[in-house]
Amino acid sequence: MLTGLIGFSWWSVHNDHTDWHIWSGCAILTLLIFRLLWGFFGSSTARFSSFVRGPQAVLNYLRGGWNGIGHTPLGALSVVALLVAVAIQVSLGLISQDEDGIYAGPLAGLVSSDTSDKARDIHELWFNVILGLIILHVAAIIFYRLRGRPLTKAMITGKAKIDAGSPPMRRGKWWVALLCLGVGIGVTRWIIAGAPPFGASAP
Amino acid sequence: MRRVTIAVGMIAVFAAAAVAAPLTKGRALAIMHQRHEGMEKIGDTNKLLRREITSSSPFVPAIQSGAATIAGLSVKANGWFPRGTGPELGKTGARPQIWQTPQDFIAKLHNFQGAAQAFNAAAKSGDMNAIKARYADLNGACKACHDKYRMDMHH
Repeated sequence: MLTGLIGFSWWSVHNDHTDWHIWSGCAILTLLIFRLLWGFFGSSTARFSSFVRGPQAVLNYLRGGWNGIGHTPLGALSVVALLVAVAIQVSLGLISQDEDGIYAGPLAGLVSSDTSDKARDIHELWFNVILGLIILHVAAIIFYRLRGRPLTKAMITGKAKIDAGSPPMRRGKWWVALLCLGVGIGVTRWIIAGAPPFGASAP
Repeated sequence: MRRVTIAVGMIAVFAAAAVAAPLTKGRALAIMHQRHEGMEKIGDTNKLLRREITSSSPFVPAIQSGAATIAGLSVKANGWFPRGTGPELGKTGARPQIWQTPQDFIAKLHNFQGAAQAFNAAAKSGDMNAIKARYADLNGACKACHDKYRMDMHH
C-alpha cells in the first residue's frame, strides 16, 4: 500500500495533479503513524524493540549466527531507514508550497514562504534518497528469493516457515491494529485542519 | 463594460500579433523575460496572500496591497504572450498549446483578469468573507490555465 501510494505520489505530481499528490501524502502519513504505533503495540515481530539491534548483532548476523524470526538485524536497518526517510519526506511535504503558490501543504502556513519554497526543493531532491532505499529493498528481496527464502508473502500474512529452535511469533490483536489505524487517521485529520489550534492555517 | 473592454483589447492584441511581422529575437526574449518576472511576482504575491487569508488574524492592508499588485500585473499579461515567445525560442514555462488553441487561452487569461479585478474589489471592501470567496475564484482561474498551459521550468 505504501509502495502504491509512493508510486502514485510520484505520478500525480508529474502529471498536473498536485491536489491528488497532497491527498496521497496525507494517506502516507496515516500509514506511517500506524506503522510507528504498531512498532510499539503490534505483533512481536513488528515491534521495534524486537528487531532493532546494534552493530554487533548485524555483524553476528552477517557471519551466520542468527536464527530468529521477523526482520533480520540487517533488515532492521533497512526498515528503520525507510521509515525515517518517508517520515522526513512527508514532513517536508506538509510545509511545502508549489512554485506558483496555487497549492500548499496543510502546514505551510506555519512557516514562512521562503521556508516553504526551500522545503519543496528538498522534498524533490529527497525523493532520490527514497528511490535508492526502494531499489536496495527490492534487490534484497530478490537476493533472498534466489537463496530460497521468499519474503513477500510473509510480510503480508505474517506466516513463514521458521527454522527449528526459533521462538514463535506472538500475533498482534486486531482491535489494537484498528486502534492504531484510528489514531493515524485522527492525527492526520488534525494536521489537515492546520494543526495546533485548528485554523492557524485552515486549508 | 470593463470586461468587454479587456476582451476587445486582448483580441486586438492577439490579432495584431498574428498578422504583424514576426518579432525580432531580441524583442521576443525581452518579452519572455518580462513575462517570467511578472508571473514570478504574481506567484510570490499569491504565496503571501494565502498566508494572510488563511491566518487566524489576517492583516487586511497586506491583503489589499497584494490584491492590487496582482490586479495590476494581470492587465500587463495582455502583452506577455505574442506568437513566437514559446519554448522554441528559449527557456520558458509556457506550453506551445497556448498558440495552438489561442481562443481557449484568451478566454482563460480573461477569466484570470476578471478574477483578479474582482478579488481586488473585495480586498478594498475589507469584508473577509468576500475576500475569501474571491480569492478562491482567483486561485481557480490560475489553476485552470496553469494545468493546461504551464509546464515545469527548471532553472
